[in-house]
Amino acid sequence: MKRAYFGIAAGVIGLVLIAYGVLSGQAGLVLQKAIRVCLECVGLG
Amino acid sequence: MAKEKRVKGDGKRHAIQAAVTLAYNFKLWNFLSGSISQGKTKSICVPGLNCYSCPGAVGACPMGALQNTVRNGGRISFPYYALGMLILFGAVLGRLICGFLCPFGFVQDLLYKIPFFKKLRSFRGDRALRWIKYAVLLLLCILFPMFLSGDWVTVPFFCKYICPSGMLFGAIPLTLANPALASQAGGLFWWKIAVLAVIVLLSLLISRPFCRYLCPLGAFYGLFNRIAIVNLQHSEDKCTHCGACEAVCPMGIDPVKDYASTECIRCTRCARACPHGALHLGIGAQKNSDKKQAAANRRKAGRKNK
Ligand code: SF4
Ligand code: SF4
Ligand code: SF4
Repeated sequence: MKRAYFGIAAGVIGLVLIAYGVLSGQAGLVLQKAIRVCLECVGLG
Repeated sequence: MAKEKRVKGDGKRHAIQAAVTLAYNFKLWNFLSGSISQGKTKSICVPGLNCYSCPGAVGACPMGALQNTVRNGGRISFPYYALGMLILFGAVLGRLICGFLCPFGFVQDLLYKIPFFKKLRSFRGDRALRWIKYAVLLLLCILFPMFLSGDWVTVPFFCKYICPSGMLFGAIPLTLANPALASQAGGLFWWKIAVLAVIVLLSLLISRPFCRYLCPLGAFYGLFNRIAIVNLQHSEDKCTHCGACEAVCPMGIDPVKDYASTECIRCTRCARACPHGALHLGIGAQKNSDKKQAAANRRKAGRKNK
């Protein structure tokens, strides 16, 4: 169980980073990338 | 012909993997039109390696998101969002994601089921080759996109030169349905088809070769295997050291010695194969032990092995 506390702490850090990322516009950046065909992914760019 | 050993419950796990693959890519009608989804849900990463250029994809690929946010507008930037998602997934589930929630892992599992003239469980160099995935993570997914991209365009090096998931779930269906895209196929396209073909062939011989040696996402999640909230647990007092678990592990691990290994994909085959119920999923990685009983079991196993 003790180790699960480290997992919970890491999860909280993850959530804080996500929240900051959303506020700084990175979720929008990911969306922009994800809704266009990624030419690198499909071997065309 | 050699075959993979069957373990009770494999079918259920594959059913979960199939359902997850479908859930990540449920816009099936896009496969016919050769286009990709443009929904807002694509700002959220799914936990597994699933290309956002797959026609049916409704979420973003976490590795694609990471590579594309280490640089923004020609400047280096800290990828708060993608890294946060990766840490959150890793902290809760570790590589359980590889065992249950990754479409490309599922594909490799299915390929390994096909009878082949030999099934290699391990070979010389297997351990050393596993370090490559950490180099892929550090160089191709972080440092190269960060420092070797052009002024305005971020180059996702892993996507561009290696990722077989992008080819299987993105390039193949898109180029089959969309002749305009197919007409652009050049050297890079065929290079990535060759990478995919090698991985497919190797998957007939070795269990999960891409996960073992190359996948940066598995490398990242593996770092959390020791602390992940949902984890594998070993009850030493129930264990008779019979080796049944090690014999069925697709990653060549002995879970009795290292149940929190970074290589463990938490497929639970070992737990299902254990005749004594000594391995199971639980909250936190730990050894549950009645020390006297555990010592007695070890002594007994030692006598048997002499
Ligand atoms: S090519 Fe691979 S890493 Fe890149 S976005 Fe597609 S699936 Fe993700
Ligand atoms: S190692 Fe990578 S490809 Fe394999 S199951 Fe995990 S995330 Fe998926
Ligand atoms: S140790 Fe068990 S759970 Fe981990 S990969 Fe091997 S069989 Fe699967």
